Amino acid sequence: MSCALAVAGCSGVQSALDPAGGDAQRIYWLTVIMTVGGTLIFLLVTGLLLYAIFAAPERRAWLGGRRTIVVGGLAFPIVVLSVLLPYGLTVMRDTDVPTPGALPIEVVGEQYWWRVRYPAEQERGEFLTANELVVPVGRPVFVSVTSADVIHSFWIPNFGGKIDMIPGRINRLNFTAERPGIYRGVCAEFCGDQHARMAFDVIALEPEAFEAWRLEQVKPAREPDLPLLARGRELFRTGGCGSCHAVRGTEANGQFGPDLTHVGSRRTIGAGQFPNNIGTLAGWIANVQHIKPDARMPSYGSLTGEDLRALAGYLESLK
Amino acid sequence: MGGSRTGQVLLMLAGLIAWAVQFTAIYGVTSTLCGRGWADATLLGMEVVPMTILSATFVTLAATAVALVWSFRSYRQAKRQPVAIVDDFISHAAVLVNGLSIVVILWHGIPAFILPACA
Amino acid sequence: MNAPELPRSFDPGERELPNPLPRPEGEFETLKRAWKPPRGLAFITAVNNTYVGLWYVGTAFLFFILAGILALIMRAQLASPENDLVSHGLYNQLFTMHGTVMMFLFAVPAVEAASVYLLPNMQAARDLPFPRLSAYAFWAYFVGGLVFFGTIFFGLSPDGGWFMYPPLTSTKYSPADNADWWLLGIGFIEISAIAGAIEIIVGVMKTRAVGMTLDKLPVYSWAMLVFAVMIVIGFPAIILGTLLLEMERAFDWPFFIAERGGDPLLWQHLFWFFGHPEVYIIFLPATGMVSMIVPTMAQTPLVGYRLVVLALIATGFLSFGLWVHHMFATGLPKMSLSFFSAASTAVAVPSGIQVFAWIATIASGRMKLTTPSLFVIGFLFIFTLGGLTGVMVAVAPFDWQAHDSYFVVAHLHYVLIGGMVFPLFAAFYYWVPAASKRALSERLGRWVFGLMFLGVNVTFLPMHVTGLIGMPRRVYTYPVGMGWDALNLVSTVGAFMIAAGVAVFLFDLARNFRFTSEDNAGNVWNASTLEWLPNGNYNTRSIPSITSRDPLWDQPNLSKDVEEGRYYLPGTVTGGREALVTSPFDARPQYILQVPGPGWQPVLAAFFTAAFFLLLTVKLVFPSVICGVLAVGCVIWWLWETDPGPVRPPADIGGGIVLPVYATGPVNHSWWAMIVLMVVSGMVFTCLLFSYLFLWLVNPGAWPPQGVRIPDWIWPSLAALLYCACGALIAVASRQLRGSDRRSPRSVPVLVGVALPLVCGASALDLWTQWESGLSPSAHAYGAAVYAITSLQVFFVLTSLTMGAYTIARWLAGRLDSVRRTTFDNTMLFWYYTIGQGLVGLLMVHGFPRLTGGL
Repeated sequence: MSCALAVAGCSGVQSALDPAGGDAQRIYWLTVIMTVGGTLIFLLVTGLLLYAIFAAPERRAWLGGRRTIVVGGLAFPIVVLSVLLPYGLTVMRDTDVPTPGALPIEVVGEQYWWRVRYPAEQERGEFLTANELVVPVGRPVFVSVTSADVIHSFWIPNFGGKIDMIPGRINRLNFTAERPGIYRGVCAEFCGDQHARMAFDVIALEPEAFEAWRLEQVKPAREPDLPLLARGRELFRTGGCGSCHAVRGTEANGQFGPDLTHVGSRRTIGAGQFPNNIGTLAGWIANVQHIKPDARMPSYGSLTGEDLRALAGYLESLK
Repeated sequence: MGGSRTGQVLLMLAGLIAWAVQFTAIYGVTSTLCGRGWADATLLGMEVVPMTILSATFVTLAATAVALVWSFRSYRQAKRQPVAIVDDFISHAAVLVNGLSIVVILWHGIPAFILPACA
Repeated sequence: MNAPELPRSFDPGERELPNPLPRPEGEFETLKRAWKPPRGLAFITAVNNTYVGLWYVGTAFLFFILAGILALIMRAQLASPENDLVSHGLYNQLFTMHGTVMMFLFAVPAVEAASVYLLPNMQAARDLPFPRLSAYAFWAYFVGGLVFFGTIFFGLSPDGGWFMYPPLTSTKYSPADNADWWLLGIGFIEISAIAGAIEIIVGVMKTRAVGMTLDKLPVYSWAMLVFAVMIVIGFPAIILGTLLLEMERAFDWPFFIAERGGDPLLWQHLFWFFGHPEVYIIFLPATGMVSMIVPTMAQTPLVGYRLVVLALIATGFLSFGLWVHHMFATGLPKMSLSFFSAASTAVAVPSGIQVFAWIATIASGRMKLTTPSLFVIGFLFIFTLGGLTGVMVAVAPFDWQAHDSYFVVAHLHYVLIGGMVFPLFAAFYYWVPAASKRALSERLGRWVFGLMFLGVNVTFLPMHVTGLIGMPRRVYTYPVGMGWDALNLVSTVGAFMIAAGVAVFLFDLARNFRFTSEDNAGNVWNASTLEWLPNGNYNTRSIPSITSRDPLWDQPNLSKDVEEGRYYLPGTVTGGREALVTSPFDARPQYILQVPGPGWQPVLAAFFTAAFFLLLTVKLVFPSVICGVLAVGCVIWWLWETDPGPVRPPADIGGGIVLPVYATGPVNHSWWAMIVLMVVSGMVFTCLLFSYLFLWLVNPGAWPPQGVRIPDWIWPSLAALLYCACGALIAVASRQLRGSDRRSPRSVPVLVGVALPLVCGASALDLWTQWESGLSPSAHAYGAAVYAITSLQVFFVLTSLTMGAYTIARWLAGRLDSVRRTTFDNTMLFWYYTIGQGLVGLLMVHGFPRLTGGL
């Protein structure tokens, strides 16, 4: 199995075997050590078993007594586990440790998407986004999670373990991204119909890039600069989209669905399901219930192609 | 020393019962104190959570050690008797169970030395 | 107490055989007639353990196949990314049903069923002590299980996962009946499991071959004893959990609703306090089977018997300290997690002991590579791997990554298929010759093994990697390009290989399995234990006295002597069915138990019980209540024929041992059963108290919440006084009912009759007090918890009431006197329990909030 792990350890955007942070690294080594150790023990036990079956009776006789059990079944595991247990506890102590000065982020799990809030820090204002976590490389991150409905679980394999999002409780997860890149997080606790389609992007940026991104996010939504986009905004208003979605700087202030102020800047839509472009946005609006059945948003199939393009174009322009 | 059958069975399970007591105590106290945010409480200058764990471990360990010695003695005694095979079996099982329990109880004391109380 | 005095010199084995030859004319025929199952339609009323056991095993296996088919559909769906073979809704039902059916309708019933078949034979008992209870447990399971499974064809199956976490399964997020099917359907199958467990405990402790002292008990019996005790301790948690969740769904009592003081984590604690021991509940009987098969196949006694027994007991205990390792990611303090980490690693030690005991046994003998051996070897291979990944997930930081990923899917299937399914198949091949005219085919058996062994590894080995590279569990589909495609396809191919293996097995069964209770294939493996004695519907002609753990190897002529009737009780002394009750440690004969025969009562009671729960699920309340009343009626009808009293003077069973045919007090088998039932009830109540304390813990400063008034002391004191008074009345009645002169004083029904309204009054008073104080069960978890304790008490009081009335009826019918008083004893024990529970409940509900002062 260890070889299989090594082979599969190639880069993955959602893999515990491709650690991109200290905690994930620590757990990765724990995994490797336990896998190698486990494999050796496994080979030893099956080797003894086969020896007991196939070796000549006089050669295997030494194995056929109580001593085998006392040594192999009692003493050996006690020694091995007496080492493993403190090691595991030490890794546990050093993993997921709160650090002063960490970047706070609040994430709320909802059926079937993620509400993400960056609280105000010094002069930088707070803002809401969704289905995307952007973090600076090198600075510890402190994520507080909870749920608005059922239990979800917040898991970014490349950065460390998962933490459940439980209604009525606030849990926290600490990690540090140490390599810039694009990763993927996912809901790990079964949360209903579309549990399978509840993921999010995690983007680790260099600190300056992160600050730039953050400044952009704090700003209100960009004004449409083309007639088509202005029409899109009008459709957004008249279509009642604002009763569920907020676009800061406009009258749309719904709190039920994801904040769309900078939806155009996100990599994907539908909670990590599709790349973000006018085509997929239009498809999403017209066909949600087909592509993500039982998501909370209804399909708006009655929009004409023209209207759909305008609406999607407007959203796409909200960089 | 065999005593009543009930006594023998209790002696045989003493270590595991001691473990159950230790487990309930340390888990119950940790959950209650951490759950209510009383973790900073100190008693005689020591943090209360690790102190509970260590004292529960010590007490149950001592009880198990006594049971182990006791069961060992009754095992030796039973072995000397010509017929009472059941006594021999039960007291031997008691030695094994109590011996294993000592290890298990010790393991449950380790976290107090490594982990913070409620983080 | 009518415990018989035994001659001091009693010492089996050192004497000549107890009964002389030739046996009297007609003795054997009478025995055969007594144990003959009914014919025709009434055949389904048979209660012989061999028939019920076989139906039971067959039904459990049917559910294995059905749940396996569900798994195949899931694997087909996951064969490629973004596949749309099944909808998300159906997929969610499929994995919920796969887990639920495999755990509740296959695994636990299968091992329980196997023991209904094997246990009495292995202990040379004529039958289990409560054959009608096994029949009841089977039929309730059969009807309830099939209806429950049928919901999948109507899209009504539960879809919240086999673990049913609220709030996803609460009314708000699962308004349809699907979740209720799980709660009620599974709730009562658990009751059936508990009935079986009581039977097994009493069976192992009280009905054994003479001289089968604790140190000569087959390892399988030890395993089943630990198994049954674990069910008794663990299942009440889930019974209470389902009860609370159903009350939340039906009456809006907010145990798990965070906005009103509840906590979803409470469910997880209750579920996993049952759910983790459950794994060992399934695993231990399988190891018991392996410990029987390995010595036979190696033709040598088991090495390290005492260590293996130690391992079984230690596993039984430690497995109750693991439950939070299913909750490592719920954000509990690291310190709390570490205790469960320690226990989870500790439990690996006993498993190691067992594995090395088998290796040592194999090394000390010469292993014949028969099909059962192959399955045992496959089991050791797969289970060892699963055990090692088990140690990995016991280390919390690793589990934070692995939890709810395919790594855990791989781990649990290695442990459960390795630890339970392979031993079960070994057991099928091993024990079929004891139940069938022909053994199964060794040639086909190799194919079955080969396909299943390869299939399991091909399916589940890749999943370790699939999980670590990020694939979460319980997803109906997955995106392209995550690197999971090939691994999933391989797993799907493997799943169909397992299915092919099972199909070959079914073919083998169809070709070779011919059930018989009279002329089985015999001891084809040269095994050493008593189930291989020549047997019939009565099991063994006479009850042997054994002097070794491997009697068929060490006691020459045992089979012949047993079959000729030279051992104890070679016929029937009352003309009906009888079993020999022995003492729990030394297996000395104590009395002759008159075993009830076939009857419609348990079958009808089971049908009506099932109907009660199923109709309740679909909200047909009135028909459901009618069925419930009919079920209780059938149980009373069934009980009426039991407790026969000493129908004849003590009888000679051979070897100069004269035993009564009736006994009361602590030697009585139903006394034991009652004690076990009290433990079950006590566990349900303990879990409820734990829930109360847990809810207190998560509600700082709101216990009781603002505006709730704790009732005045005077009322609970009065209720306590009433409880104590009726306890005293029952104690006096018990004193009046003593003496060997078979007196039946009029004071007994009068005292019981007076106690009835008192006990009702006590619980009604407490209910009224709470209601009067304006406490609402649905406003806050505090009220819900208080009313839960009070309502549970009302349920117990109503049961005591029924038992008290039944006892009075027995007196009126002249079926109760100072000797024939088992009915009274059972009522008395239950009554004492109810009073005790009531007092503790009052103390908790009224005392605790005062003690903490709203803290």
